Amino acid sequence: MLIKIAWRNIWRSRTRSLVVIGSIVIGVWAVIALISFSSGMVTTFINNSIKNELSHIQIHNAGFLKERGVKFSIDKNADLFEKIKNDPNVLAASQRTVNTGMISSAKGARGLMIVGVDPETEDELTGLSDNIKEGDYFNPKKRNPILISKKMAEKLQVKVRQKVVLTFQNKQNDIATGAFRIAGFFSTGNTNFDGFRVYTRRSDINRLMGEENIAHQIAVSLKDPKTLLASQTAIQEMNPSLSVQTYKEVSPEINLFESQIAISAGIFTFIVMLALIFGIINTMLMAVLERYRELGMLMSVGMKKGQIFLMIMLETIMLGMVAAPFGLLFGYATVKWLSKRGIDLSAYSDGLQQFGMSEKIYPDLSPEYYGMLAVAVAITSILASIYPALKAIRLKPVEAIRQL
Amino acid sequence: MSVIIAKGIKKVYNPKTIPVHALNGVDFSIEKGEFTAIVGPSGSGKTTLLNIIGGLDNPSEGYIEVGGQDISKLSDNELIEFRKNNIGFVFQAYNLIPVMTAKENVEFVMLLQKRSQEERDARVDELMEAVGISDKKDKRPSQLSGGQQQRVAVARALAPKPHFILADEPTANLDSKSTSNLLDIMANLNKKENMTFVFSTHDQRVIDRARRVITIDDGRVVSDEVR
Ligand SMILES: Nc1ncnc2c1ncn2[C@@H]1O[C@H](COP(=O)(O)OP(=O)(O)O)[C@@H](O)[C@H]1O
Ligand SMILES: [Mg+2]
Repeated sequence: MLIKIAWRNIWRSRTRSLVVIGSIVIGVWAVIALISFSSGMVTTFINNSIKNELSHIQIHNAGFLKERGVKFSIDKNADLFEKIKNDPNVLAASQRTVNTGMISSAKGARGLMIVGVDPETEDELTGLSDNIKEGDYFNPKKRNPILISKKMAEKLQVKVRQKVVLTFQNKQNDIATGAFRIAGFFSTGNTNFDGFRVYTRRSDINRLMGEENIAHQIAVSLKDPKTLLASQTAIQEMNPSLSVQTYKEVSPEINLFESQIAISAGIFTFIVMLALIFGIINTMLMAVLERYRELGMLMSVGMKKGQIFLMIMLETIMLGMVAAPFGLLFGYATVKWLSKRGIDLSAYSDGLQQFGMSEKIYPDLSPEYYGMLAVAVAITSILASIYPALKAIRLKPVEAIRQL
Repeated sequence: MSVIIAKGIKKVYNPKTIPVHALNGVDFSIEKGEFTAIVGPSGSGKTTLLNIIGGLDNPSEGYIEVGGQDISKLSDNELIEFRKNNIGFVFQAYNLIPVMTAKENVEFVMLLQKRSQEERDARVDELMEAVGISDKKDKRPSQLSGGQQQRVAVARALAPKPHFILADEPTANLDSKSTSNLLDIMANLNKKENMTFVFSTHDQRVIDRARRVITIDDGRVVSDEVR
């Protein structure tokens, strides 16, 4: 019976109830839109980092990670790379020689990381050839080609096809140098990452370092990211002495990003819900004051305070219950639509590229979040209902009836 | 047997700020089944007195016993319970629940008392018939005339078979036809159901129909006649 009265009371002042419902719908929608956008941003960032930089799994000589010395190669494990490549979970894998050194042109010099790659497997793994913005990918016929970033080219004041000199340590810990010709400029979308590395062919850098088979790193991408831990374990078991890391271990800040998003989602939800609470309280108070006489009458004919309290609470909660599904639905539809279409940020992408953002963001939101938001609305409307309901039962029936 | 006993009832509103002496020592007792009018000009204290009898308000001084209970000693929730089981109110301005139909309004207190569906339906039919609005069962108050609303209010007050019906100027907003109609209905039900009716009025047509008339003025009983 209380539910019936409460429900009908809601529709007595239709406009007011619709305003409350509307504000809840908009609030829920805004929370979903904003959080899905920022979570899409992080997901894009993580996916870009995995694609261009981290891959899913990286394999190193344990000493290499500690001391970064060129002597910590993994080439003693002769069939390791083949085994990994043939693992059914593995999509692509590539070996790299990693060295630090200096690049110099006639106009300048800079410290950097030299990555020697096998052009074909590297391209399969990271799509490096797609990131060439000017010039060409490694041409097998050319001698000592090198890929540098646009930013680096500006610093060194060099153009495509001009020469640069790399200086680095060889296998005997002596200084070695080599002249390279710029085949092209690459850009992964993350200027911080790009600014400090160049790509050469592994065969070229290895020759200059004095040993043909040097490899410091195997990067692996998986067919299905869900097999991440299983694949890590499998590879580790093949080679107990090597360091086998997932991208989260290689780059712990990724976890930080994920928790950061969860925290800011929580804070934003809290703020919106707080605003809604005050809005709802205000409206329900109006509804209660307007019905003072009627509430007094209900008490006169025998409705207990608890029942009045419950009735007002139910009215408030029902508003939330009506509104929440709409808000969730609109939010869901918006996310679905945007995640197909993507949000083009190229107008602002200069700033974003520094952080490894690509130009299009695809908002997404994990399903649990919709459930959490539904709970948040429920809590919000329960909290918002308490004060008006208290106000309602504080009235004295005689006084309420007198107010003609 | 006296079912309402009032002794030395005084009521002062706002005793601390601007005291208003609404009742200045009222004594009377009412027998079971009486059909009594409390008569007096506006501001004489009729509403105050009815509210005190109905347990909506406390006297500032004096003793009030209703149905054998000293109601000045009851807590707020006990008073609500007392009203629910003993008193049927009819207010001047109808005071129906606007979101409920006529039938649901009549049924309301019985629902609060958790009476069974059959009992409720039977009683609602009986009373709607008695007050002559069976055909308006599913109308909301806003769709009814003043006289019809007041008849619903009477039916609602009577529905749970309370021992007392307290009606505060029930005909004040009605035309003369509706007034005599409503009085017929109340007089009939008073006979049929043997409830004790107390109503306030300053309408001569209503006074003429009462079997006992207690006249108050300025918060005091000035005459008390049984016809
Ligand atoms: N809540 C109140 N506060 C102050 N004075 C009141 C209040 N209610 C009634 N009064 C005063 O008490 C007196 C009696 O009022 P009331 O019982 O309503 O008389 P009646 O119903 O006969 O018109 C009047 O003077 C009225 O102004
Ligand atoms: Mg009055």
